[in-house]
Amino acid sequence: MAARVVNVSAPEQTFLEKIYLIEVAKGMIRTLGHFFRNAPRTLLHEVPVIGKKLVAKLGIPTIHYPEQKRDYSDRFRGRHILKKRDDGTLKCVACYMCQTACPADCIHIEAGEHPNLAYEKHPVVFEIDLLRCVMCGFCVDACPKDAIWMTRDYELSFFTRQSAIYGIPELTEKPSDTASDGPGYGYRPYYGQSPMKKAGEFQPSGLALLPVLDLRAKAINRMPPPPQAPKPAPAQAAKPAA
Amino acid sequence: MSEHPLPPGTVAQVTEGGPPLFGLREMELNFGPQHPSTHGVLRLVLKVDGEKIISARPDVGYLHRGTEKLFETETYPMVVPHTDRMDYVASATNNHAFCLVAEKMLGLQVPKKGQYIRVLLDELQRISSHLLWLATAAIDLGAITPFFYTFREREVILDFFEEYCGARLTLNCMKIGGLPLDLTEGWVQRVAEFNATLPAKYDEYEDLLTENRIWKKRTIGIGVFTKEQCIEWGVTGPTLRAAGLAWDIRKAIPYECYPELDFEIPTGKNADTYDRYIVRVAELRQSQRIVAQCCDWLLKNPEGEVRAKVPRVMKPPAGDAYAAVEAPKGELGFYLVSNGGNKPYRLHVRPPSFINLQALPEMARGHLVSDLVALIGTIDIVLGEVDR
Repeated sequence: MAARVVNVSAPEQTFLEKIYLIEVAKGMIRTLGHFFRNAPRTLLHEVPVIGKKLVAKLGIPTIHYPEQKRDYSDRFRGRHILKKRDDGTLKCVACYMCQTACPADCIHIEAGEHPNLAYEKHPVVFEIDLLRCVMCGFCVDACPKDAIWMTRDYELSFFTRQSAIYGIPELTEKPSDTASDGPGYGYRPYYGQSPMKKAGEFQPSGLALLPVLDLRAKAINRMPPPPQAPKPAPAQAAKPAA
Repeated sequence: MSEHPLPPGTVAQVTEGGPPLFGLREMELNFGPQHPSTHGVLRLVLKVDGEKIISARPDVGYLHRGTEKLFETETYPMVVPHTDRMDYVASATNNHAFCLVAEKMLGLQVPKKGQYIRVLLDELQRISSHLLWLATAAIDLGAITPFFYTFREREVILDFFEEYCGARLTLNCMKIGGLPLDLTEGWVQRVAEFNATLPAKYDEYEDLLTENRIWKKRTIGIGVFTKEQCIEWGVTGPTLRAAGLAWDIRKAIPYECYPELDFEIPTGKNADTYDRYIVRVAELRQSQRIVAQCCDWLLKNPEGEVRAKVPRVMKPPAGDAYAAVEAPKGELGFYLVSNGGNKPYRLHVRPPSFINLQALPEMARGHLVSDLVALIGTIDIVLGEVDR
């Protein structure tokens, strides 16, 4: 098939470019421009109370990580949680669907009889080896009972391999997971516009019903402001004539 | 050179590229696997005559995880997250290549909206992969500043990925038959806004490198690999295009909605490291154009399915198929052999990094050791894909 091709080999150097001094100056203007624009803003961090808000408003891409944490999206695939019914029992019925769907073989379930006969089956052992987990979210997709969700918790570090294997006590949803300073829910069952929409007993609990977060404001804070139409951005002003 | 007396019977080696610099004997030198400029765990066994490379033999396999064998134990949908881990800086294209071959076998047609989102993700991934390449290749040659600028933009792209599919690097953003999720509200608008700012950013990188005297001295005429050599060695991607052959899977064997999009194939003519740089920067600009067109289309057509109707259990008929995409590093192909079961009987990967890496000894012969760093940078390898 005929493809349009452009040849982009090295352009001939003009006389001014051959002198190099102008080119060196251009490079210095570029780097120093960034320095003088960013350095005062970064210092704002040290201003108590309002400093951090100002920095966020001015849009500096760098985050001072342990002190300052960014928000992740609603779909972030982090640590798993096991959801509970209204009466406090686990929703999980130990059907092994997530274990079967897991590409990393990191879920281990042992089923047992639930003391409440209405629930019949429940997991006696439910372990996720977070060192094996690839955070693909297939367990969430597979679950027929909406029992396993993911959070936005990404700070998963352990001292021992054994402590990376989370059992039922660690996985069960806690109030701290959804507290205002907690990680919050991440990836969860999605029915969206999928042709495989599940009907009947399960209401769409996923993103479809959630209020859309103000991700736009976040994204704007995370990236340099877009150039204004009437006034060219500084990057364009310093662009070489060629 | 060492002060040791030569062992008896040593014969002075004469290199191919002219008289030996020190004229004594060749020395064997290990380059990597822990050297920072090998971009991972590549070990090169060098034979050098002074500073001059007589031969460079890549010793690969330090990151071998048996992925192809692992594919045979996983059902078709479960293969996708494993493909993320091959070329881990461009996982969208990996997902795409596998999904293409599986759809070919299953006879699935991805809905139009799904195709556009896939292409949009692919091209964003190409931009982020090329930005990473630009950063690391420039650092290898001592230019540190472009790294900060390219990573600033790459970060925003990774944020977009994270908002769409929930991960930044190992995306797992495609499913057989389409996409797992629909777009979030306002996502396309924001991608389009960010995309509009990119050309100015590219100018910024080019200001620092394109006419840079040191950059040119280090790259022009280094590692010339001609069109004929590229074809002989099966080298694809920007390395092939910098040699002057306009071969791009997106145009040559079009997939998804690429025939509807307007873009060009940038080619070089000198086939050296500098031309490969120029070609990649030009590809960044072309990708930016494609992203803009995809965003326009998606803004005009917000409704629609993103995934075809797929069978609950995927059992392709017995047979085999090959499908390839233009990954940022070259032609990434999957060859699938099915015996009618729910798992691949064999799934072979044609990784661009591995095949392009074979060109390295040929490129490096006769160059200096310091040029080797430029050459490893210029072929843009990811060891996760080389070793799999």
